[in-house]
Amino acid sequence: MLEVSRLTSGYGSMQVLWDINLHVKENEIQIVLGANGSGKSTFLKVVMGLLPQWSGELKMNGADITPLTVADRVRGGLGYMSEQGIFPSLSVEENLKLGSLRTQNKSVADQIDHVYQRFPELKERRRATAGGLSGGQRKLVGIGRALIAEPKVLLMDEPSSGLSPRYVSEVIDRLAELRGGITLVIAEQNISFLTIADTVTVIEGGLTRFTGHIDDFTEDESLKEAFFGIAGH
Amino acid sequence: MLFEYAIIGGILLGIFYALLAVGLNVVYGAQKIINLAHGDIIMLGGYGAWELYYTYHISPILSTIIVIPITVVLGYGLNRLIAPRLLKSADPEMLSLILFFGLSEVIEALASLVFGNAARALPVNSIPTSRLVLFGQGYSATWWVSASVILPLLGIFLVFLNRTSIGLQVRAVISDAVEAAVAGINAKRISGIYFGIGFALAACAGVWGVFIYGGVSPTEGPAITVTAFAIIVFGSLGNTVGTIVAGVIFGIFYQLAQVYIPSWSNLVPYVLVIATMLVRPQGLFGRRQRIA
Repeated sequence: MLEVSRLTSGYGSMQVLWDINLHVKENEIQIVLGANGSGKSTFLKVVMGLLPQWSGELKMNGADITPLTVADRVRGGLGYMSEQGIFPSLSVEENLKLGSLRTQNKSVADQIDHVYQRFPELKERRRATAGGLSGGQRKLVGIGRALIAEPKVLLMDEPSSGLSPRYVSEVIDRLAELRGGITLVIAEQNISFLTIADTVTVIEGGLTRFTGHIDDFTEDESLKEAFFGIAGH
Repeated sequence: MLFEYAIIGGILLGIFYALLAVGLNVVYGAQKIINLAHGDIIMLGGYGAWELYYTYHISPILSTIIVIPITVVLGYGLNRLIAPRLLKSADPEMLSLILFFGLSEVIEALASLVFGNAARALPVNSIPTSRLVLFGQGYSATWWVSASVILPLLGIFLVFLNRTSIGLQVRAVISDAVEAAVAGINAKRISGIYFGIGFALAACAGVWGVFIYGGVSPTEGPAITVTAFAIIVFGSLGNTVGTIVAGVIFGIFYQLAQVYIPSWSNLVPYVLVIATMLVRPQGLFGRRQRIA
């Protein structure tokens, strides 16, 4: 579904990504794991077209998407949820409406109703300003808006950012409910998200340290020590 | 009686000030820049109304509608010309200030060359002339006619902004341009349209400025920009409803000053900016976002 090989990028003349490789299959959930400053957010922005790709290959469904603009990538089925994920000054319903700009196969009202069925708490607060919601509700608005756009691949930048542990668990549970219906690439430093992962890519210092199945990741002693703080045995 | 006169007159005049400032607020929302040539666009709107009246015998009320498409196209074109250069700049805010200051100077110089330095006025009978009488007090025809034209115009603008798909996209771009781009919004096109609408609102204010200020002259731009800036700071930068309400409040303050301390009334914009900065820097309608 999404193939990245030997990808490099950066800001201005400063290189941040040196050699990123990953492969995501259809309807798979892949966690891109890395510490703060490792380059995982930069990587998602390059895939979305928000930052220039210096070199390497970037393919979606076998087609090279490197030359495409952000708008073309959105039309091609790529979705992106930033750390903020919402338009804070707009209402919940207006945020959701914006997700439907590129979809034509359903009525906007039906699409929004579908999100309200999935996340009933948003219906209760549909007229509220999104910036005034709790952190967890804001993430649900962001997820709902992204889902209305019906992307084939949804890139999510740190959905746990700014959330208390209770809300992190809630977001993880909601993302788990999406399994099988969408391809998710989630950049995270919170290892709780590994509970929903099919595959994992670890980025360290702009380099791919590991990419593969979650079972292979958890069996790797050095990674286990690095991320879980425990050695095997 | 004087107090009631100042309040009602201030509201009527304030509706004009709301339109005067809302265009500046719109351009700020579209590109996050302060258009230092805002007053000069208003001045051009005034000359447009003057030309339309004396050359084609078109009423200023109709001119208010005619200047809209012309200035939307001009503003859109200017935005597409400068926006890419601003975005590439290391300091877009400073570059935009210099650029629009230069544009202001150029417009003023060209207006002097084309129209001369003397102020030009429109005859009072180019609009209805009957005075409005409320609670025994008479109010200038200029005030109530301008308010009667401007109020529906502001209403249509608010409906566009809050009830249409393009209006929603505009507010999304204002809220977060990057987030808007990944939502599939063509942020450049939307910003350009909104920028053009800001110019159109300024030009409409210019048509009525000829009556409110008693004429139009090439040098009036900078003082009008200061007044508009004071109002948008008072109402909260980027907040359209805040700007409109602040415009009306400004009109009331100005009129109270005109009635009770006329020689000090021109200080109202400056006092308003300083007081806003000291007491409520986010402006009347500035919101605080929940942090967690």
